[in-house]
Amino acid sequence: MKTFEEKWTAWLDGQLSGLELTQFETSLPDKAAAEAEKAEAKKLGALLKRELVGSVLTNEDFFSHQLRERIARESTQPPREQDVKGSTSWTIRRLLWTGTASLAVFLVFAVFVMRDKNPAEQSQYLSQILNARVDPVVSPNATISMFEAKEDRVTVLWTEGLQSLPADYAAK
Amino acid sequence: MVRSLPLFTALIALIMSAASELQGAEMVWSGLVIAQNAAQPQLIPPELTRIERPLKGLFGYNQFQVIGQSRKALKTGQEDWLATSKFFGLHVDARGESEAGYVLNLKLYKEKELLLETDAKLSKRSPLIIKGPQVGSGQLLLVLVVQ
Repeated sequence: MKTFEEKWTAWLDGQLSGLELTQFETSLPDKAAAEAEKAEAKKLGALLKRELVGSVLTNEDFFSHQLRERIARESTQPPREQDVKGSTSWTIRRLLWTGTASLAVFLVFAVFVMRDKNPAEQSQYLSQILNARVDPVVSPNATISMFEAKEDRVTVLWTEGLQSLPADYAAK
Repeated sequence: MVRSLPLFTALIALIMSAASELQGAEMVWSGLVIAQNAAQPQLIPPELTRIERPLKGLFGYNQFQVIGQSRKALKTGQEDWLATSKFFGLHVDARGESEAGYVLNLKLYKEKELLLETDAKLSKRSPLIIKGPQVGSGQLLLVLVVQ
């Protein structure tokens, strides 16, 4: 024996027929209200069917297997420190590579710059005597030599045999 | 920010050009120095402090006195000037500037008599010393320094 609710649900779903349908409809106190409610229920059903379409998984079994395995793994093991260490060591490795590369670039530039600069610097380093002459009439025995005191960064023109002069010539 | 960028660039350019001009004008000190040995030597003149060690080491004197000097700011590298004492005159004629220094023609006169002439390249980092004639018990030295 079906209850009223069961018959109501079956009627809404359109599953009553024949004598059972006739008896149920005659038992309804307000058939028009019931018909309106049935129509609303149908509309709601159609709407839900249209809107709540679930995403279709093509490999449901595979994904659920993966998920189950992962959950089981994580629930049985504590979080591994290795993961944390792994990320840190990767950063250090990257820093080392960057440092090495920077050093290499610096060395290359330094070599090039030093190679270009050294010859020029050597000539700029000290003053140079290009030529020198004394009056052979005034100082016939004079000799001239030149040298560079590289330690003191001084260039010297050394003369010997110039005409000697009395001390009076040291006056300011 | 974008508007102030040209102004900032112009300011930097101005500062750089001013700096390069300042750097371009260098001072050359040229001096006539009497080196001799004294029982109580006087302090070395400040212009020679930088080369005190080579002066004493190379020439063997313990006292150095400046009897004539000239300080010239070189802007074009084509200037000429004279450092004189009572009897000596050092004429310096700058004949161009290079990155290394200045090309100079130097003439040492005793009154109006030319004693010595030389062409030299004076480095900005390296003083030039010329040994002149014996004067009494001392020695006349010509010193040129880019200051």
